[in-house]
Formats: sequence, structure tokens, C-alpha cells
Amino acid sequence: MGRILVVDDEDAIRHSLQRRLEREGHTVHTASAAAAGMEKIQSGEASYDLVITDMSMEEGESGMQMLCAALERDPDIQVIVLTAYGNVRNAVECMQKGASDYVEKNIPDVDVFELLVIKAERALIQRSCRLQARNAA
Amino acid sequence: MCACFVERTESLLNRALTAHDLGAFFQDTLQQALEATGGLRAFLAGIDPATGAMHVLYAAGPGWTESARLNRLYAHNRTEGGITAHAARSGQLWVCPDVHSDPYYVEHFSDVQSEVAVPCFDTEARVCGVLNVQSQRPAAFAPRHCARLKTLAAAAALALALQEYRERERNLVEIGLQLSVTQQKGAFLQSVVGAVQRALRCEACSLFLLDEGTQQLVLRASSSSLAGKEGEVVYTPGEGLTGSVVLTGETIRLEDPRTDPRWKGRHPEFVPDAMGAFLAAPISGHRGIAGVLRASRPRTGPTWFQARFTESDEQMLRAIGAQLGAALENRSALEQQLHNERMAAWGELSARSAHMIGNRVFAIKGDLNELKYQLAESPACSEQVTVLVNGLEQGLYRLEDILREFRDFVVATRIAVSCCSINDLLAEALSETVPALCPVKVCTDFEPNLPALHLDATRLRRAFAELIENAISFQPETGWLKVASCLTGREEMESQVRLNPLQTYLKITFEDGGPGVPKDRKEQIFTPFFTSRVRGMGLGLSIVRGIVEAHYGIIAETGTAGEGARFEIYLPVPRGAQGTGAQLPGKEIKHGTDFGGR
Repeated sequence: MGRILVVDDEDAIRHSLQRRLEREGHTVHTASAAAAGMEKIQSGEASYDLVITDMSMEEGESGMQMLCAALERDPDIQVIVLTAYGNVRNAVECMQKGASDYVEKNIPDVDVFELLVIKAERALIQRSCRLQARNAA
Repeated sequence: MCACFVERTESLLNRALTAHDLGAFFQDTLQQALEATGGLRAFLAGIDPATGAMHVLYAAGPGWTESARLNRLYAHNRTEGGITAHAARSGQLWVCPDVHSDPYYVEHFSDVQSEVAVPCFDTEARVCGVLNVQSQRPAAFAPRHCARLKTLAAAAALALALQEYRERERNLVEIGLQLSVTQQKGAFLQSVVGAVQRALRCEACSLFLLDEGTQQLVLRASSSSLAGKEGEVVYTPGEGLTGSVVLTGETIRLEDPRTDPRWKGRHPEFVPDAMGAFLAAPISGHRGIAGVLRASRPRTGPTWFQARFTESDEQMLRAIGAQLGAALENRSALEQQLHNERMAAWGELSARSAHMIGNRVFAIKGDLNELKYQLAESPACSEQVTVLVNGLEQGLYRLEDILREFRDFVVATRIAVSCCSINDLLAEALSETVPALCPVKVCTDFEPNLPALHLDATRLRRAFAELIENAISFQPETGWLKVASCLTGREEMESQVRLNPLQTYLKITFEDGGPGVPKDRKEQIFTPFFTSRVRGMGLGLSIVRGIVEAHYGIIAETGTAGEGARFEIYLPVPRGAQGTGAQLPGKEIKHGTDFGGR
């Protein structure tokens, strides 16, 4: 089970994601803006295992800001970027900068919440592998 | 010839070239004619190039009044009598030493004893006027007098031609101005027709434009008996002389259109018996032939007069047609630009709305996800509730489908070009779109070494993929799809698609063995929200057309319903790109390559 931060300016989305991920047994914190999200990443004793952030909130670059803040705190933090359908250019850029994955919010015929659960699981495994490798080294 | 006459004639000609108003020149010429021959009266008659009617333009000597000048040849035009009419008809100088015994002479002034009429010729060697000198003395005109009068007649002919060219120039300038001013399209076309009528000196000028929807030639402006029937008078391309111009892109110039096998006489400007000279030229622009300009003259002049249009008339009408075509395209480009700006604003709004709707849908999907979980946990869950939840879920997926199409549509006409090979794009679209186990047999026929073009590779691949998907989806059991590329030649002009005969196109064809498209739906399928498929919003082919048109291309469905669909795309090849130098190294694509399929 992981410590997850969900950052999205839409209350309903934030709550849905929190509820769904908590059902999987994760500890989920939320933030409704990039600034609040970054503050949560930077403060706190333990770092988050996974940050799920919307690509564009009040500013277009907010997803990128979250990513940078997270990796600065802990290079092994996993970041999943949420993006609008067809607007993957920024998401790809995030991947190149170190995000572990991205999810398009509106994929027809796909229950994106289930997809997110799977992707979150995969990201957490990746993080524990990297931590183990780091400890072994 | 005496030095005095030569000197005076030279000075006359010099004045003709520099004078703004040629009236004084003609008066001086008549005065010179009287002095050089010892004559009493002289006049210069002009011949209307449209009707052949003669009018006394200028007169000198005693006894002339304005009404005498205007009426002098009035009866002659009807009876074709008089020595002036005889000189015009025969094209020969006619000397009448004794008016009382001349077979052609018609008396006007009773003091006349002898008379001479000298024809003037225009640049096409047609009689354009007659110089007439009268004397109170019998046999007053000796050969030396006639020689001088011939020189003066030639000078007058030059001045008449100069006057004609100036008038034509004025009218052409006016047409140019009309083309550049912004006004309502109907008024604009009507003013062009009026200016063409004056420039060509024709009684009737009509302007037809091809209707984009019906592909019929529709009357849009006329200065003839057809005026008032705009929108009602219609020709099918290929029908009659006017319809032929659209198909061939050639001008048609005839002295008597009724003798031409193409003549149908469906909507003539005059009753068939009165139908005279005919001239029609295409209104052609960058994107093909947009319509026809047609000029005609009635057969009302004297029997000897041929009211034909000249080669220079033909060249002029063709040039006006080309300018008008360009102007119409500019107008539509301007309208397109305004439309694009509105679309851009609309697109911005749409993109924001789509983003917000997408977020809401995503949130609702979250609640739905939770609801499904709760229902699964609850043993009391009724089957009806599950059906409702599934229905909600399907509804949301459908909404996402619509959002996807909507976004694709909004971005379809934004183009980012790079130099690429059409054959590569086609091959990529095929390999991305055709599934490995496809029931449709796919084959290709790509012309090798096609010129590279500046295209938006991503968008065109998307357009090709849509057409390929269409062909496959309409043949679920078994079928075939043939994709071909080539450069168009002259024979393509025969096709159903209206192309500019002066433009080379890269032609791409998608042909399949599906149900095809009924004749009455061939245009409709490219309009947004038209679909015969169950899925999707019906934006697919309108997106394809948006992409093709953003490349200044043309797309049309030319198949036969029941035999299969045939989509033809024509992308204009810029001049200079046709050569072999512009080819891309690209992937080598062989003729007849098979892609997947059974």
C-alpha cells in the first residue's frame, strides 16, 4: 500500500480518485491547486510514493511544476499525469522529464478509474524496486 | 502628292497620337479632305462593330445641321442604298463623277454633282468607316484626289482604331476596378456583365457560375433578355455551347452558333432567327473552372455585315474570365478567412468547453465506478439497477466518443506542413489502419517518383486512415480496397471532378467493393453530422474534406452506387515541383504491394 497525493482543481474528481484509491488500501491525500500540492510534497516527514496530478489546472504548466517539485523532493517518487483526450503533447514532455506514466481522462469504452488503479499499482511496484536497488547499492 | 499635303497630314497624325479628344482630329481631317480635293462637303461615317449600322460621326461643309448629320444615313441602313453603303459593302473606293447617272447614288443635298466614298479598314481588315466627299462640280475627283483621300481615310481608320482601343481600355480599367471593390456579390457580377458588354460592344452578356452543391451552371447576372432569370436559367456541364466551355476550359467563338453541333438553343439571349455572333470563355481560377462568361450579338445589321467577334475580343474575354475567376476566389478566400477567424474563436471556445465537459464526464465516471462497486457489494441489488448503471456507463462512453470527434473536427483545418512523399503517407496510413486479419483484400498502385509536396503529414494520414476505415467498415464479410496514386494528365479533365486544366494535380484514389454512395448523397456525405453508420457523429468525411481543402485540394466521391465507393483526392502540384529534382528519397514502394488482408 502506498502514500498517494492527488492534485486536481475539480472537487468531484479529487474525491472520486481518493475514494477509489482508498478502497484499494492506499493512504490518499489531496490538494486542489498546484501551490497547495507542492507545499504538501515539500513538507511532511516521509515523501509520497505516488503523485497523481492533473496536467493543466489554473495554469497550463501546473502538471510540470508538480513533477519538478516531486522529483526534487525524492527522485524515486512516481508521478502519473492526468490529461485531456488528444492533448498528450505536454504529457509526453512530462514523461521525458521523469513522469512514470500518463492517463487520458476521456478514453471512450474505458473505465479510466480502473485503469488508474492498475497504473498506480504498477508505479508503486516500480518505486519499491527502485528503492530496493538503491538500498542494495 | 504635294509637299504641303504630306506635311499637313503628318502634323494631323501627330496630333491624333497626342490628342485626348479625337473630335478635333476628325474635323481637321475632313477639312484637309476638302482642301486637297476642292470638295464642298465631307463626312466620316462610322460602322457599329456590333450591328453594322452606319452613322455620320463628323461632317464638314455648308448645310449640315445636327439632324442632317444624324439622319444622313438613316434610310441607307435599311435600304442599303447610297454610295457610302456601297463602299462599305464592297470595301472598294467608289467614284461617282455624275450623281444623276450613278446606280447607287441617293440624293441628300440637291447641289451635289459628283461624289467619292473611300472605305476605312480596321486592324482585322474589316470596313470600319467611310470617308465621303462631295462636290458641286461634275467629275471633280481625279485619281490624284482619290490617292489623297485614301491616305486621309487610312489616317481616319487609325484614329478610329485608337478611339476604339481607348474605349476598350476604359472599360477594362472599369472591370479591373469592379473586381477590386467590395460590394454585394450579385451587384458585383452585374457590374462586371455591364462593363464586359461595353468593352465587347455586344448587346448581350451573361454570366454563369457553377453551383458547388449541384455542379450545375447557374445564371448569376445578365444584361440581356435573360436578366431577371438569375438562379433559374441552368445548364448541366457539357450541355450546349455554354456547358461545353466548362468541360473543356476552352473559349468558343462562332459567327453563327446555330450551325454548331453543340448548339442546343435552350436559353439564348435572342430568338434563334436573330442569333448572331457568339463568344464564350471560362471563368477560371486556381481551383478550376468556376463558370462561363458569354457574349452574343443579334443578327440585325445589313446583309453584308458580319457581326463576328474578333480574335482580340476572344483573348480579352478569356483574360476577363481569368481575372474574374481570381477575383471570385479572392472573395471566397476573404470569406474563408472571416469564416476561419470565426471558426478559430469558436474552436477556442469549443476546446475549452470540451475540456470542461471532459472533466465533468471523468468525474461522473468516478461516481459511476463507485456506484458499481457499491452495487456489487450489496446483495439486494436488483437486476434493473444494474441495467440502469450499465446504460449510464454506455451513455458516458458515447459522450466521450462525441468529445473525441468534436476535438478532431475543431483541429482538422489547422495545418502544419513539411515536405513529404504521398506514397509514404499512404503506405503508413495503410499499415496503421488495416488490421492483420482483415476480411478486406487491400492492394495498391502507386506511381513511382511522384514529386514531393508540402503537406501536413499527420492530418493527411488521418484523412487517409478515415477513408480506409470507411472502406473496411462497409465490407464486414469480405471485399477489396484499391489505393492508387498518380499525377493527373489531360485525360483527367474528362472526369467528373471539376479541375483547372492549367494545373497539375496529384491524384489519390480509394476504390472499394462496398455498397457505394447513392447519387443524391454524394455531396451530403461530406457535410458535418451526416452519417449512415451507427457509430460516430458523422464528422468523419467532413474532417477528411476539411483536411484536403486546407491543402487547397479537392475531394469527391465518383463511384457508382451498388458497385462500390470511389473517393478521388486531387492535391495541386505547385509549378516547379513536377520535375524529378523535387523527389524525396523516401521508402521505395513497389507497384501492386499487398497490405495484409486475406
